[in-house]
Amino acid sequence: MSQTFYLLRNREVPQIGHMDVYREHGGYDALKKSLAEFEPEQLVDLVKRSGLRGRGGAGFPTGVKWGFLPKDGRPRYLVVNSDEAEPGTFKDRELIENNPHQLIEGMIISSYAIGAGQAYVYCRGEFLKGSEELARAVKEAYAAGFLGENILGSGFSLDIFVYRGAGAYICGEESALLESLEGRRGNPRLKPPFPAVAGLYGMPTIVNNVETITNVPAIVTHGAEWYTSMGTEKSPGLKIMSVSGKVNRPGNYEIPLATPLRTLIEEYAGGMQEGRSIKCVIPGGSSVPLLMPDKLDTPLDYESVLQAGSMLGSGGCIVLDDTVCIVRAAARLVKFYREESCGKCTPCREGTYWMTDVLDRIEAGAGNEADLDMLLDIADNMNGKCFCPLGDASLGFMVSAIKHFRDEFEAHVREHRCPLGAKVYDTVNY
Amino acid sequence: MIADAAAKLGIDVPVYCYHEALGPLGACRMCLVQVEKMPKLATACTTAVSEGMVVHTRGPAVDKGRKGVLEFLLINHPLDCPVCDKGGECFLQDYTFQYGPPAGRFEEPKIQKVKDGPINEFILVDQERCVLCQRCVRFMGEYVGEPQLLLEGRGVETVVTTVDHEPATSQFSGNVIDLCPVGALLSVPYHHKARPWNIEREESVCTLCPVGCTTLATGRDGHIVRIEGRPVPDRSWGWLCDRGRFGFDFAVNPSRLITSYLEGREEAAARTTRQVGQWLRDAVSQHGGNSVAFVAGGLHSTEEAYQLNRFAREVVGTERLAVSRDVPGYLPRGLNGTFADIDDADAVVLIGTDPYESVPVVHLRLRDRARALPSLKLMGVAPRSLSRETLRVDTLVTHVGQEAAVLAAALSDAARGHAVLAELVSNGLGDLSGIDGEALAELGSTLVNSEHLTVLWDGLEADVEPVLVALQSVRGDKPTRVLPTWGPSNWRGFERAGFDARIESLTGILEDARDGKLQMLVLWGADLLREYPDQELVRQAYARVPVLVAESLFPPAGHESFKAILPQAGPGEVYGTYVNMEARLQVAMPSVQPPGQARPTKTYVTAWARAMEKPFVLQEDWDPYDDNSGDLVPEESVPREVRPIAPASSAPDGYELITGVLVIENGIPSDFLKPRVPQYPGRISPSDADRLGIRNQAVIKLSREGREMTAAVAVDPAMTPGRIYMPLGLADAPVNALGTGAVNVTVIEEVHSA
Ligand SMILES: Cc1cc2nc3c(=O)[nH]c(=O)nc-3n(C[C@H](O)[C@H](O)[C@H](O)COP(=O)(O)O)c2cc1C
Ligand code: SF4
Ligand code: SF4
Ligand code: SF4
Ligand code: FES
Repeated sequence: MSQTFYLLRNREVPQIGHMDVYREHGGYDALKKSLAEFEPEQLVDLVKRSGLRGRGGAGFPTGVKWGFLPKDGRPRYLVVNSDEAEPGTFKDRELIENNPHQLIEGMIISSYAIGAGQAYVYCRGEFLKGSEELARAVKEAYAAGFLGENILGSGFSLDIFVYRGAGAYICGEESALLESLEGRRGNPRLKPPFPAVAGLYGMPTIVNNVETITNVPAIVTHGAEWYTSMGTEKSPGLKIMSVSGKVNRPGNYEIPLATPLRTLIEEYAGGMQEGRSIKCVIPGGSSVPLLMPDKLDTPLDYESVLQAGSMLGSGGCIVLDDTVCIVRAAARLVKFYREESCGKCTPCREGTYWMTDVLDRIEAGAGNEADLDMLLDIADNMNGKCFCPLGDASLGFMVSAIKHFRDEFEAHVREHRCPLGAKVYDTVNY
Repeated sequence: MIADAAAKLGIDVPVYCYHEALGPLGACRMCLVQVEKMPKLATACTTAVSEGMVVHTRGPAVDKGRKGVLEFLLINHPLDCPVCDKGGECFLQDYTFQYGPPAGRFEEPKIQKVKDGPINEFILVDQERCVLCQRCVRFMGEYVGEPQLLLEGRGVETVVTTVDHEPATSQFSGNVIDLCPVGALLSVPYHHKARPWNIEREESVCTLCPVGCTTLATGRDGHIVRIEGRPVPDRSWGWLCDRGRFGFDFAVNPSRLITSYLEGREEAAARTTRQVGQWLRDAVSQHGGNSVAFVAGGLHSTEEAYQLNRFAREVVGTERLAVSRDVPGYLPRGLNGTFADIDDADAVVLIGTDPYESVPVVHLRLRDRARALPSLKLMGVAPRSLSRETLRVDTLVTHVGQEAAVLAAALSDAARGHAVLAELVSNGLGDLSGIDGEALAELGSTLVNSEHLTVLWDGLEADVEPVLVALQSVRGDKPTRVLPTWGPSNWRGFERAGFDARIESLTGILEDARDGKLQMLVLWGADLLREYPDQELVRQAYARVPVLVAESLFPPAGHESFKAILPQAGPGEVYGTYVNMEARLQVAMPSVQPPGQARPTKTYVTAWARAMEKPFVLQEDWDPYDDNSGDLVPEESVPREVRPIAPASSAPDGYELITGVLVIENGIPSDFLKPRVPQYPGRISPSDADRLGIRNQAVIKLSREGREMTAAVAVDPAMTPGRIYMPLGLADAPVNALGTGAVNVTVIEEVHSA
């Protein structure tokens, strides 16, 4: 399949992470255009018109968020969220490791648009290579005069700092990220105030995902109409989907939004491996409910996936095949949330702990009839009662799994063992 | 917030993490309520009320939500209530009883954590019982500004512990015990001491410093075993300092007087009392009533002072009644402010006093205000910098004895031409060279232009009084309120009871004693050798007065001079009213009996009247409260006249000895607090230490004109160079032996820290 890439440009130009190569391929032209032809408000307007929505998971319209900044003369910050720790999602990693300049260019344009004089990238703790690539590219950008004082004679100045976290999923939540960036324990903050009003060091702050910002130079270059020509009216443009599971070609795919799930799995990812069939699909990262095979024709846009009973989330498409034990998968996923719960609020802290133990017990053949309804009741006692979305995120898969595969759960209880004897993705359960 | 609104209406919304003083956090999720038109249950502590909002605090959804939260809190709870000190006083028990599930469904293994781990000498943490409400962490970090507690670990592994696992040193640490809604933070002195049904919990007040914090005293089997803070709605959060919270064991200290001494020998208190009555009778009959003088001090209540006052005036027939004073200043009642004046102030000026050390809980109040009003002007005039990490104070550093002159200079500058000022400085301002002109102008403008000025004053310089009177007159209708930070903590109460609190009366009595004009001196809780600013005068008076009698909690300094010493009944052992630095009357209920032969004042005065064969009827129904002034001592108008201040003398060349109250060292012994009492209470700046060749600590000799004292000092980076600080009133290093001001310093012994 031949494809023109706008985000994963490294797929076409392998060395695009280097300044000279990036510039040979039109790099930083969008920045020059922005500084020369646009007033900041015009850029905000352009992004609004493009319909770009946040790619960090919630899909909030980016231009609208930028418009929330109070105009009170306080310093502003741009913070790019590269914490990417959602199981199944690995797109930001490829971007920062292989196409860092496009992110940096996007950050400069975005900072100019929102009036930020300092911008931060918060990298996931494990992203050693990515953060090093970014730091290297930032250095190149300073050397080329795209960062620092008076960029390209425009009067606009910007510094970029690359920061690496300590490896906590919760630090991807924007307010916990800001706490961590300020040097404190990564617990989410009370909202309101939202970061746009009181964010980093109490100042107005825009937090955006890596992929979101990487879209910005392309939108400046090709225009808002180009962007809205793809996808749907409410979900226009491009999205990178990370496909994992027993497909022939797991990996990242840049697709126009509203591409059907089936196309993503069968065409982009090359279909299922020999002898495997689809049991169910988690379309948007570990935090969303599963979709049964009858929903494979769902177009991958925010609204359609929601209507199908799940969420597009961060685009981590996990394909579970027929050898996967659904109880084991649920236990493994809930355990992730138990390990990553920050511990601030009661329901998430205790609920994820409890559910994990019960699921492990069922999987080990020591469950009983009442456990399933108790799990659903625990989930109900958590649902909507946690401090931040992580708590609810731990429930999506498990609740949908019990709903769609109740017989498999019950078989575990009845037979006192796992009827499949299966593993989850052949991973080691650490 | 909905939680506050509900509380005001008396509707119960259960909370763990929320505390009005700490602000919303939203962590525990206990306070779930249903707000109409909101899709999910809301937390009452984080949701602001708005016009027309309809909130349901009960109902199936709310009840299920709360039940769920409680079930979650209990799954990893050790359920060891039968051995928990908080059992019966615990919000986890209470809420579970009210809202919780009838039985548990959790069958998995519980997480194990540290039990009875140390926070410091006074506090234990049981991490298994902790509900992670973060009240303790946030109190120390945000409210006190001494972030010594933190959360460690994540998820269910999260625990409360101390920074670097080092003991928490803040003097406000004990408040976290009160704040903890469950049995996770425990008081070491109270550990495994009692169950709620064994104890009497009485409303009381702390008398260990002039703040007069409201407390609950827990008595068990005749002993006070615990002091807790007692919030007073709309007035106080109920904070205490560790001095007040853990220092209650003075009542059972081995040095406490529980029998009497007659001519140096132990004797039954009844016999000694009769003997004192006999002496009184002889003195009055042979030399007249005014040959006997009474000095009130210590921890006596207002009622006790009143009984003594009536006895002295009506039975003995003397007018020589004074209050023990350790600083010479006096504050007219009319200028006396309340703590509400801190909450309302746009400017606060500290004269001499460091609230953190002398009136600890007022320091919290100031910090509260500074956080609420970032533009608060906080200035100091003192012989050392008063600024701290927790409270930034622009200090105008003076030399000893220059505070009044500096204030007067600033005032004269900012309110030029005001008639009262001409009188105030009619003797001249003296030598103020070295005082920064800009700082002086800023001080002047703060004094004159602030809308609501609140002053804290340590009383060390008597001449500040006329300056404050003049200041009030210059400011006119704009509030000018002063809070005196000196002791004895109930001095205003003694005044209310009829004693003269100005130092001049005390000085007069001592001079007369020295000059052989007094026959008998009765010290009622006063320990003058330690307290009165001129120790030498006290020494001479003691040597000369024929009959010297004390009634006291502890043997007074120089006890060999006393012909009789009687044991005093202390606070918490008698009903009493105490007047704090706000001039506020507060009642302390007794929770235990006085130990041994210690007796309340009324017992002594009645016995003496009998020995003197004079009629005396106790007015047990006397009430210090006034019909019109509520719980404050009646207002008086501010004096109009100002006396001129003395001109400032020039700065000395060498070192200056300075002093101030350090509550932890205020002479009332406590075994619990021993680990906190500094071994090197004196302080010296690093540069001076360098010059004297001191690295960490040293014993030094301070001398002036033939008088001297030794002082154990430690190097303190916050100390202003050129000054040697010693706390006021140390038994083994009394500053009053030398007096503040220029001193010569020689190092006796340098001590390297271990
Ligand atoms: C538990 C949790 C984890 C999150 N992790 C990430 C993340 O790794 N990367 C990210 O961009 N957004 C993450 N988010 C979303 C961010 O809070 C935030 O919405 C996002 O960074 C905003 O950027 P966007 O508008 O460009 O999507 C997470 C949210 C939650 C609740
Ligand atoms: S839901 Fe609560 S415990 Fe879980 S991560 Fe968010 S704040 Fe922390
Ligand atoms: S120790 Fe007590 S106050 Fe501190 S977090 Fe735990 S329950 Fe709350
Ligand atoms: S501040 Fe004073 S009155 Fe309050 S607890 Fe401490 S010593 Fe007692
Ligand atoms: S009291 Fe409201 S969340 Fe804790």
